This record gives sequence, structure tokens and C-alpha cells, in this order.
Amino acid sequence: MAHFRQWALEYVLSDDENAQLAITQKAAREIESSRGSSTVVGNWAASVQQWMTAANANDDDQMDDGDEAGSGDIIARAKGTLEALDKNLLRSDQVLRLVGFFGAMFSYDHKAGITASAKALRWLYAMKGFKPDMGVKIMEDVCKIKEDFRLQTAATRLEVYELFLGLIQDPAVSSELKHKYGPSCGFVVDLLQVCQSERDPRNLMVWFKILALLLTDYEPSAEVTEEIFKVFSAYFPISLRSSATPIGITAEDLKEAVRSCFAAHQRAASHAFPFLIQKLDKGDAVTVAVKVDILKTIKACIEQYGNPHASIVPHIEKIWNSLKYEVRNGEVKETIDATLEVLRAIARKLDGTKTHKFDVSLLSGYVDLVSRDCRDDLANPTYTKQAGLLLMTVITANIRAYVLYSASFIDAIRQNLRQPKSPSHSRDLLLLLNSLLKPRMELFRDRKGGHPDDEDRLRTESHAHLDTLFHDVYLPIWTAKSNEPATEEKEILKQAIQGLALLVSQQVLQPDGAAVLLCPSSVSSEICSLLTVTLTKGLTLSSNDNHADSTALEDEAVLALRTIVMNYQEGYGELMSRAVAEIRKRDWASPSEYSLGALKDLLSRLTFIGCSEIPSSITSNTSSQKQSSPLQHFITLTARLLEIFPLSTQSTSPPPTGSTLGSSANAHIISSLHASVLWFREACEVKYGREALASHAGGDTNWLEEFQQLPEDWLLRIQGGNAPSDGVLATLKESDPEVYHQFLKVSLFIVRHLYRLAPSGSRTPWDERALVQLSRMAALVVRSLDEKLQVSCNLAAEAFTYFNSDRFPVQRSVRDLLTGLLTLGILQGLRPGALAGLYKPGAEAEKYMCDTTSFGHSALQESDVRAAIAAILANKYQGGPSTSDPESLVMKRVLDFWGNWIKEATTSSSVDTESFPYYNKIAVNVIAGAAARQEKHVLGLIPVLHQAAASQHPNGERVAESIGAIVKQNDLLTPDNHAVVKRFYKQWVYGHLTRPLLQEAQPAAKDTHTATRYRVAILSVVSNCPFTVYQDDQEPLIRLLVTALKNRAGLSEDVAWSQVVSALEILAEILTNEPDALKGYLREIIGGATEVYQECVQKKGTVAVVQPATRTLCRKLALQVLGAIPTRFEERHVLAYAPPTQRMLAVACGDPARKVREVARRARRAWAKVV
Amino acid sequence: MERDLENANPTILSVSQLPSRSRKGTAVRHGPDAKCDSIVYPKHSWPYGSSSSSDEEDDDGEEPMDEQDIYDLISTISDPEHPHTLGQLSVVRLPDIHLSPSPAELTGPDSLVTVLVELTPTINHCSLATVIGLAVRCRLEQTLPPNYRVDVRMKVGSHAQDDQVNKQLGDKERVAAALENDTLQRMVDKMLETCV
Repeated sequence: MAHFRQWALEYVLSDDENAQLAITQKAAREIESSRGSSTVVGNWAASVQQWMTAANANDDDQMDDGDEAGSGDIIARAKGTLEALDKNLLRSDQVLRLVGFFGAMFSYDHKAGITASAKALRWLYAMKGFKPDMGVKIMEDVCKIKEDFRLQTAATRLEVYELFLGLIQDPAVSSELKHKYGPSCGFVVDLLQVCQSERDPRNLMVWFKILALLLTDYEPSAEVTEEIFKVFSAYFPISLRSSATPIGITAEDLKEAVRSCFAAHQRAASHAFPFLIQKLDKGDAVTVAVKVDILKTIKACIEQYGNPHASIVPHIEKIWNSLKYEVRNGEVKETIDATLEVLRAIARKLDGTKTHKFDVSLLSGYVDLVSRDCRDDLANPTYTKQAGLLLMTVITANIRAYVLYSASFIDAIRQNLRQPKSPSHSRDLLLLLNSLLKPRMELFRDRKGGHPDDEDRLRTESHAHLDTLFHDVYLPIWTAKSNEPATEEKEILKQAIQGLALLVSQQVLQPDGAAVLLCPSSVSSEICSLLTVTLTKGLTLSSNDNHADSTALEDEAVLALRTIVMNYQEGYGELMSRAVAEIRKRDWASPSEYSLGALKDLLSRLTFIGCSEIPSSITSNTSSQKQSSPLQHFITLTARLLEIFPLSTQSTSPPPTGSTLGSSANAHIISSLHASVLWFREACEVKYGREALASHAGGDTNWLEEFQQLPEDWLLRIQGGNAPSDGVLATLKESDPEVYHQFLKVSLFIVRHLYRLAPSGSRTPWDERALVQLSRMAALVVRSLDEKLQVSCNLAAEAFTYFNSDRFPVQRSVRDLLTGLLTLGILQGLRPGALAGLYKPGAEAEKYMCDTTSFGHSALQESDVRAAIAAILANKYQGGPSTSDPESLVMKRVLDFWGNWIKEATTSSSVDTESFPYYNKIAVNVIAGAAARQEKHVLGLIPVLHQAAASQHPNGERVAESIGAIVKQNDLLTPDNHAVVKRFYKQWVYGHLTRPLLQEAQPAAKDTHTATRYRVAILSVVSNCPFTVYQDDQEPLIRLLVTALKNRAGLSEDVAWSQVVSALEILAEILTNEPDALKGYLREIIGGATEVYQECVQKKGTVAVVQPATRTLCRKLALQVLGAIPTRFEERHVLAYAPPTQRMLAVACGDPARKVREVARRARRAWAKVV
Repeated sequence: MERDLENANPTILSVSQLPSRSRKGTAVRHGPDAKCDSIVYPKHSWPYGSSSSSDEEDDDGEEPMDEQDIYDLISTISDPEHPHTLGQLSVVRLPDIHLSPSPAELTGPDSLVTVLVELTPTINHCSLATVIGLAVRCRLEQTLPPNYRVDVRMKVGSHAQDDQVNKQLGDKERVAAALENDTLQRMVDKMLETCV
């Protein structure tokens, strides 16, 4: 006893937390060592008690803070000791005594000690010796605090709430409470009195949880329920004042907590619904946020309450009467949506659950109520949409309501559609009809997850009202309005088109449970044909008759047709047949621009309709249908396109490059074939993922051999259903990733077919554009194949025989644009492993890369293609790390060859200046291809390039200018095309090729000629490199840039100006990344750019010989650089240059080129801020 | 500015209804099927090598400034009281912009051109007409080259006091004085914020 008293005194006097902790632990050990002897516990309690009574004995006026603090401290000490005790130590009677002891604290009239007592009680509650009846005692004791509770700090109150929550949640305590108090729940009333005016958000979260538990678990009597309801409903609608110190609780959390009180138990239903409805009916006084809160709460109640007969049904009419106006007259989307959610929730609740359905009268009573009020509104254009929305929400909530009521709703819409009040009325009605059809598909799809009754209902559903929709509703509207519709009518037609698509997509269950399409083939086919007319209209009308200024209707029809043919698959064949017939009606030998545009649109749409999605496998209701294949549409489209190709065999005049309309009808067909592969490939990737191909086994089959056994019109035969071997294709399932693989096979067949057509016979159907498209399509197909397939099909060899090896045993030696493009197409897509065969000594690769035979009539393009092929061949080989493997040696020979050639061309007159650029292009591309993979033999060529660039020969200048192409972005050398591109190859090239020249290129260098040439070469490379590559060499570089802007001596005009372009591009890049480096050169740069602009805007003088495009580019870049300067530097650095620059920019705003004017205006605005 | 709107319900055109250059030439379709167009109908039919080096050749042609250019400059100015542009509110209309001499008759790059812009206020007693006129004037003076003379007026009959407004807008001294006023200057700056 003496110890404890002494310790208690020490504790109260001590300020040190550690010392206090030590005392509490000492006391705990003491109690433990006595094995929980009652005497020791009693002594301990008495030591605490003495401080309490001392404090309590004083009158209020005499009690000073010290006493209060002392008693608070001592409770904390007692609590601390308890926490240090073993939970199993104390016996029940001791726990009871301690409960009594701590419980008594709540009766004393002072504030201190409550926190610690509550904590101690929670600790005791966790003791092993705790008995449920003690819980009851705690409840009673704590409630004695009464009004004083409000005066406690929020943290103290939180402790008490946590204590309450713990006890109420405890099943043993709760049953004891129920046993003691029964349904009258006396303790609840006390509890409510104690806690009713809580305002702290954190405490409220716990308090609401307690209230919800009281409602659900304690079966309170009606009076008590009402009391509880009053307490939490007083907080509704709850909000949270924004605070500077966030507490981790949001207003939304509080709303959720109050909501869960409302929705806790149906017991509260009779209070909750009238209360919420009354709040809602306050009209304009309620803000949107509050309205939404109310509606969400009503919804939560409906969803959570059990026994809807008693809890919900009595209130439905009131709810409906109040809510309908929110939609009927509402304007705010949020409230309308929330209201509809409530109405839908009611319909779902009344239907029953997955396992138990309620009597149908509940649901039908509700739907009747809604339709009684809404039906008449359908005839009133002002309310049609809203009334429909209400009806639709209720009817589409579940299958039972849908089956029961959709017929009468559709009937009502149909009647109104017969006498529409206005075009917008028709549109709204159609919109409703569509929005009734759409959820039907969803309900149908989800039928398996619901009650078995639902599926039965769908099976026995009468669908007469749906069957007649087409002829009764959609067709009459279409016939009446589709000819030259006015703007308003177009909106109606759009809805009608969407409706048609939805109609064809509807499925019904047959008595045997199989899902088939609702519409018979005849109707689907008619729908297809109606919509097809919209698409082919462009082609059938002449340009004078076609006044359509927007393609919105056609676009809608395209989307609708896509949906239709995914379900009604025969539709696509019919569509293609009609379209092909229309195309054939026209003469494509010399078509007008209008016809070509119409053809392009039509083909592009057909491609999208058939190939942008993989068709699903639903059977139509005619049982004789053969199994449809996922590739069916793709094959139909490509077969029909190949069938009509070529549309004209006459030679067309070569199209002007750069114009879409210049291409021929034949090119459009190839473009569409290309597009079909693109679309279907994308659809496959979406559906099966990119890995689908990688996981495919058996990639070593030779498809080309299989193709040789097939007739040329294989696809057409599959499409017609009489192919000799479409075994795999016929049994393909939509979900099987094999679809992707088979699609590539068919695509390769198409490529092979076109390749065989191209070089044989007359070439006239193939214009340049068609060939380019074919080449790119081949690249697309080939690059999608894996290496095994590329090897087993020996595609590398086919690149030079164009799939004609069975017809032309000796490979063609002619190298013209056509064969070049064909070769390029295949090589572009091959993987390095598949190209191995070409690199034997003297084989194709070496021959091709070292080819200096002369060009045909279109040297520019031919050289482009040869250069592209050379770049690929110089890049995609499987060399090892050493420089002596066979491929590397081939490359060494090739690079040596070009090294000698360049040397020769820049020292003697063996290569004339005119053809030099063409071959030089090939040389540079070979180097570029090899450099991208950091082929070491390239380094041997660098001295040659340096010499050539500096040579006095006119070709030297060309070499210097073109050297940048080595690091130029090349679309063929990308990972997509399986090229070998090292990550830092640009740094590598820059370091070896350009950096050594920097010193000699400086303006002060002795040899000005060499300096000038080197400058051209450096700028050419640097302008094609990212900033980080040349970041470290900025200082010498900037001197070159400044020189390049002003000094064009010693260079031909076009080289000089392309150097200016490069310089300006690099300047813009430095300005963006590290403007500070330019600070010392601002005068030169501003002056230089101004001069460049002023020189380029003139049409006279030496600059006149430069290409106009280059001149425009120079002006634009110069203004861009000028415009960026004031945004990058402080005003003091640029202020001096402002007046002349502003004057010059004002003049530049009148530049002849529109693009330049825009840049000038931006620059002017930037400089206007410098004052 | 705390006051009621003078014209609370003006007619508003959507952006797609405004006159623009792209729709004058060959229309580019943006249907659902147009996704692959850039690949299968590329702008430049020759994708390899030198001849397609510049992506913007089409736009690089020399075209003198025309009415549409002027329209594009001023139609994006915001209205002082509605969250819409002058183009959307039809205060600025393409047919009411006049260039003299017309672009086709221009003799040289430095010849003098007069731009006449006639504004149509949304209501005929609009007190903000002067401010709008001032903003249009400022915008044009900031963006046109020095050889362009700017004349901004109210369209005849479109404003109750068009004479007075025109006089204010035509008087250089008064315009300059107006822009010395901080409140007005801020208002004009705010209106021009939406211009690019």
C-alpha cells in the first residue's frame, strides 16, 4: 500500500514522461508479482482513489488547477499501469472493481481524467476476465456524465465514442444489453442524450456508425427508433466547413455516413421516406448538391431495406409523385440522373433478387403508376423526352418489367409517331424507341446471371411488337424523308438509322434456348439495301446533283451498317455486291475528280464496315445457314476488290505528285486493300492482343507452297462458298486467336496475287501511287509474320522474284521503279534472321548495294527506292560481334566500294554533276543503314568523307551537304520494321564524323575553303541530331551558326541556303534547350536572322534561283528564332534590339505566305512585351 | 463588372458554323472510316527520300492577305459580356470586311491597303459597342503590317448611335486617349486574350 501511495505521489509530482512511464511499469510489475492478489489491486486502486477523493472533496470554488491536474495525472497513471499489465492477469471480480473505479470517474464533476478513464475502460474491456454484464455497467456509468460530455475536448469524446462502439459491436455485450433493457432500449435514450449535439467530423463518423448499429442490431421499439432517427436526421443534409488543417475526412465521407444511418434498417422507413421527400419538396430552396444527396439517400434506403412490402411499397406513390417533377420539369442533368437512378432502384427492388422473385403485383403496380402519369405526356412535344425517359428507366430496369410492358410502351410510341406534332417530336419519339431497344440487348446479354425465371420469360416472350417495327415505323419514316431531307429531318433520319441497326442486332430466344436474330433475313436484307443506297448515292449522282454539304447521314449509316453486318453477316456480301455493281456501271478510263472522290469514299467506308471489327457468331433465324467465319467479311471485301481490279486498263496520265485526287481508280482499290489489312489487323490486336502471334505454334509451314496449289481466284471461291480447301477457315471460331494467323495468311495470299499481277502483262493499270500502296501493304503483312514463317516461306528470295519464281525461273535483271518498289515492300518487313541468305558473297545484297547501273526515265524516284533498299540491306543482317563474320565482310566490301566511288567522283570527272546526287544518295543511305547498327567498318570510310567534303571538285559540296542524311530520321530504319538501330548511334556518328571537323571549320581557320565545306557538313549532321548529342560542343558550334547566317561565300546558292535552314533549325533547338549559351551572341543572331528574312522576302537578286519553298522555310525559321528570343532572355539583354526588330516584324506581318504571317504575328507579340 | 447583361440571350453560332478557309477548298472528310486515311491516302504520294522532305508544301504557297485573314484575326476576340467570341455572336461577319484595293489588284508588297471592318452589335443600343470597336482596332493595328490602314465602324442602322460611335473610333487621338485609361486597357487586353 505504502509503495503505491509513494509512487502515486512521485507520479503526480514528476514532469518527466519517461519517469512517469517507469512508475506505471513498476506498479504493473508489483501487481503482476503478487499474481493479481485482490489486496494488491485494492491497494493500488486506493492509492489512486485518494487523489480522486482529495480532488473531489474540495468545493468547486476551492479547487485549483493543480488539484485537477493531479487527479487527471493519476488517472493517466492508473491507465498506464493497466496498459502495462498482462491481459490475462486480472480476475473478473478485480476487473469489476476496476470498472467500478474508472466508471465512477464519469460521475465526478470535473473534466480531467475522462480521456484516461475511457482508455482504461477500453483496456479493461479487452481483459480476459471481462464479463458482458460489466459492459452494461460501463454503459450506464459513462452515460452519467450527461451534459458534461459536451464540455470535453473532441479527442476525449472520440475516446468515449470508440468505447461505446466497441461495446455495442460486441455480440456478448449487445445480447446482455438486449436482455436487460428489451425493446425499450433504455440505455439508448441515455446515450442519445449524452451524445446528441456532436459536431466534430471525426467523432461524427463514429457516432453515425453507433447509431446505424443501434437501428440494425438492437430492435428498438418504435418510440426509440423515432428518437434515434431524430438524432441523425437532424444532421441531414450534412456539410463540412473547409478548414485550414485537413483532418482526412471529406464532406462526402460524412454524407455517406449519414446515408448509411438512413439506410440502416427498414425500421426507419416510415420516418425516412417522408422526411426525405419533405426536404426534396422544398423546391428552389434546395441546391443541386443537396438534391442529389437526398436522391442518393432515397436510393440507398430503397436498396438496403428488407421486406419491401412493408417498408417501400407504402411510400412508392409519394416518392413517385415527388420525383417525377424532377425529371419532367428538371433542367439539371445531375438531379435528373440521380432521380432516374432512384426510380430504377425501386423497379429492381420490387422485382426481387437473383434467388427470390417477389409477386409480380408489386412490380406491375409500380410500373402502372408510372405509365399512368407518363403515357399522355408522350403526345406533348414539350414533355415527350422526359416522359419517355421515365417510362424507359422503369421498364428497362429488369427483364420482367421489360417483357411485361415494352409492348404497350412501344405501341404508345408508334401511335404518337403516326401523328407527330413537329419534326423534333418525331425525333424524340424515335430516340425513345431506340433507347428502348438498346437496353434490351443488354438485358438479353446478362440474362444468364439472373433468376432462372428471367430466361423463361424471354423464351416465351411475344415479339410481335418488335417484328412489326420495321414496316410500321422505320420504313415509312425512311421513305418519306430520305429524299433531300431538310436539316431537321436529317436528325430524324439519323435516329431512324440508329434504330435500324439496333433492330437488326436484336436477338430472341427460341423455345430450345438458342439465341437467334429477331429479324428474318428478308427484313435484315431490306434494311441493308436501304442503307447501302445512302452510301452509293455519291457515286450514282453526278457532281451537279449532289448538294450534300455534310456527310453526317452517311457517317451514321456507315456505323449502323457496321453493327448490322456484325450480326446479320450475309448483309455484307449483299452490300458488296450492290456496291460493286454500282462501281462497274461507271467508266473508269478517264473519271472526273468528283467520281474518283466518290469512289474513294465508298471504298473507304466499305472497308471500315467490313474490317474494323471481327464479326460475332450469332445465327440468324433461318436454320439452313452455314457456319459463318470471323474472316468472312475480310475475305468478301478483298475478293470482290481483287475481282474488279483493274478498273481501267488504259494508261492514265502520270498524276501530279502531292495531290490525292491525281491518283487513279486502280490506286484507290489497292489503297482500300491496304486499309482493309490495317483495319483487320488492328481489330485482331484489340481482340487477341499482340502476343497472340508469338504464342502460335507450327510457324514453319510454307504458305507459299500451299498457295501454289490454290487457284488464282481462291478468295472469290471461298467467298462464293465453293473453295477447294477452306477447311481451317470454315471451322474458325471468333474467340480463337488462330483468326489472326489465318488473317495474315489470307493477306499474304493477296499480296502474292497482286505482286504476280504487277510485273506481268501490261503495266498500265499500275500507276506510281498504286505501286507505293502495294509496297507498303506488303511491308505491313510481311512485318507481322514471325521470323520462322518469313524463313520457311523464303520471303527474302521472293523480294527479288516477286512471287513469280514458278513462272520466271530466271530472275529479272531489269531494275526499274516497279520492281524496286516491289522489292522494297518485302525487304522492309523482313526480320534480320530471314535475310541471311542474301549476304553470301556475290549474292543479291552485295549486288544491290553496289549497283551503279544507270536509271530509267524517273531517276529521282528510282534513286530514292534504290537508296531505301540499300539502307535496309546495309542494316538488317545478323552479324556477330566480330568484324570478320561473312556479313560484316560483305559490308566492308560494299563500304569500300562506295568509298572508292566517292573518292573518284570528287577528284576526277568520271561521274557527271547531274547524276552524282542520285548515286550519292545511295552511298549515303548505305552508310546510314550501317551506321544505325554501328557497323565498325563505317569508321574506315570517315576520312574519305572528310576529304570528299573538302575537295575542290563541285561534287564535294554535294557530299558535304548530303552527309547529314546518315543520321536523318528514316522511316524504314525503325524497330517496327525490325531494323537494327543502336540507341546511341547518333552520338557515335557525331563523335567520329563531325567533332573532328569542328576546329578546322571555325571562321578564323587558315583554309577558308575547307572551313566553309566543313561548316556545311557539320551543320548538315547537327541539324539532324537531338540537342543532347551536340550539347557539349555548343561554343564552337554557335560560332559556326552565326557565320552560316551571314556568310554564304564560296557555296552555290542552294547549298548556301540549305545551310541557312540547318543553322536556323539548330538555333531554335538551342534556344529551347539552353538559351544561356547564346547570350553573348544575341546581336549577331538577331541581325543574322533579320538579314536572312529580308533577303528571302525579295524576289530579285541571287536568291531568286533558290526554290521558293526553301525561301519560305528560311523566312519562317528566321521569324521563329526571332520570336523565341524575348521569351528566353531577360528584358535587359534584348531591350537594345527591340525598336528595329519590332519594325521589321511589323513589316513581316504582311509576308506573302500565310504560314509565315502567323509566325510573324506571334514573334511581334513576343517583342511587343519588350519595352 | 457588376451589372446586368444588356442582351441576355444573343444568338450564338457554333464554331463549325463560322466561315473558315478549310471549308472553301476541297473538304477533308472526318467520318468514322477516316482513321487509316493518312496511311492509305497520304498527303504526299511519294513517301521515300527527297521529294517529300517538306511536310507543309501545301501551305507554303504565296497568298496575299484577304478578307478571311482579317476575319480570322478578329473573330476570336472575346465579347466583353458573354463567354463567346465576336465571330460566334456575329458581331464580326465575313461579308462586312472590305479590303481596298482588293488582294487581286495589289500592285506591290508595300502598296497602301485600307481595311474597313463594319461591326454589328447584338442589340442596337449596346453600350459596349465602342469597347468592341476599340478592341478590333487594337487587334488589327497589332497584327497588320504598317502599310495597312484600319477603319472600324458600326454597320449602318445596326446601332442607335452609330454616328457617335464611328466618330469615336475614327478619331486617332481619342483612341489613343482611351487606351491610356487603365480600366479600358485592361478590358481590351482581356478581350484579346483569346486571340492566338
